[in-house]
Order: sequence, then structure tokens, then C-alpha cells
Amino acid sequence: MSLFGNTINSLERSLDYASLKNQTISNNIANVDTPNYKSKSVVFQQVLDEKINNQFSAKRTHPKHIPFSSSAEQNTFQIVSNNSTTYNNNGNNVDIDKEMTELAKNQIYYQSLVDRLNGKFTSLQSVIKGGR
Amino acid sequence: MSIFHSINTSASALTAQRLRMDTVSSNLANAETTRATINENGEYEPYRRKMVVFESKDNSFNSFLQKARVGSSSQGSGVRVKEIAEDDEPFKLVYNPNHPDANEEGYVQLPNVDPLKEMVDLMSATRSYEANVTALNATKSMLLKALEIGK
Repeated sequence: MSLFGNTINSLERSLDYASLKNQTISNNIANVDTPNYKSKSVVFQQVLDEKINNQFSAKRTHPKHIPFSSSAEQNTFQIVSNNSTTYNNNGNNVDIDKEMTELAKNQIYYQSLVDRLNGKFTSLQSVIKGGR
Repeated sequence: MSIFHSINTSASALTAQRLRMDTVSSNLANAETTRATINENGEYEPYRRKMVVFESKDNSFNSFLQKARVGSSSQGSGVRVKEIAEDDEPFKLVYNPNHPDANEEGYVQLPNVDPLKEMVDLMSATRSYEANVTALNATKSMLLKALEIGK
């Protein structure tokens, strides 16, 4: 049994996601006046693919059998460009209102993740001290 | 991936928008300048309106390589000024025979600066600048929050 369990790993990955998302949003806002720039977003591409590809669930009857789903832990999110729309005359499709709301949302999301992470550490500390 | 990547991205945009504002100021300041450059005939030419052309910084080889390898684009690294272009619009002709730069018919060539256009450009630059300051502050507060992990 691991001391930290799965919670901290999930929180860590979520923090990675939020941080990458912040970079992407900053870049979109930076390029709001750049001709022919297409906005980018962070998506859970691989998670989505797994959901689509693994619609059958199979039970392994022997532990040496090859697992049906390959759960690659790294890089579950990808950055994709949205090339399908154009808002501006100069080919740019950054929607500044959307970017600013995403920015605010992402900030709160990040802070709540950090709060939760700290809460986890506090409870671990409380356990280590025997509740004293 | 550096922790200050987002801040650098926003900073590049702040620099670019500031340059845009500077260009607008220059255009407005020179709205009446009839002697800006000397052309090939050795005569004075009025001031030509200048425009800033932006370019995304991630048009680099690296970003295309990553896109080809992983199928995902890079998170981008901001914006840069590609060039300061000049407006090719013809100069305004104003009848003023007493002007020292008037031609034989009495017309003076004035710069092709339209103050209305400049003000719109200035407002657009200001708004973009503000948006980038907000993004910068958001990044800053996130980084400071990250320092609180485990405290």
C-alpha cells in the first residue's frame, strides 16, 4: 500500500493540465491581433480515443494475458488548433471573451487543486502525528 | 517547459502592443508632416502612415516537427513583430498655394494619415494590452499559489 494513494497523482496530473492550459490561453490572448492565427485548446485526446475505441469491456481470465486497454499514463492531453472558423477579417479566430472566461475558470480550478493537495498533506500529517 | 513560459508569452504580447501604440503615436504626431523623407529626385516627401505587422512566434521548425511527430501542436510561445509596413495609399492633396511645399498648381501633399483610423487602432491596442495584463496577473497568481503546495 502506498502512503500517498492515487489522489496526489491525480491532482498532480490535473495541475499539469491546468498549467498547460494556462500557457495555451496566454498564447491565444497574445496572438489576438495576429493575422491568420488559429486558436489552440488543450483536449483529453487520448482519453477520448480510449473511450471511443474500447467500447467492449473484456475480462482477463489469466493475469499473463495481454490487457485490452493500454493505459499510457503520459501525455493524456494534447493541444489542437481550431482551424474551422474565422471570426476576424484577417483570418484570426481568437474569441477574446471565451479566452478571458477560460482564463478565469482555469485560475480558480488551479487554486482549488492546490487547496485540495494541501488538504491531503494536512490530513496525512495529522495521521502521522496520531491525531495530536 | 519552463515555469515562466506563460509569463514570457504575455510579455512578448505586451511588447508588441506597446510598439503598436508607439507607431500610432508616431502617425498622429506626423499627421501634418510634409517633409519626412527625401525621394530619389531629391525632393521632400510627406510622411507615410506606418503599420505594425504581427506574426505568431510558433511558426518555427520546432513546432512543425512536434506537430508531425506527436500529432499535437505546441502550446505556442507568443507573438512578435514581423515588420513595420508603410501604407501605400496616395497622399492627400490640399489646395494651399502659400505653403512652401505647394506644387505649381498650388496643391500641397499631406501625409496619408487618417486620425480616425489611428484612434481605432489605438483603442484596439489598449484593449489587447489590458487583456494581456490580465493574463499575466492570472499566471502570476497561479505560480504564487503553486509555491504554497505543501506549506
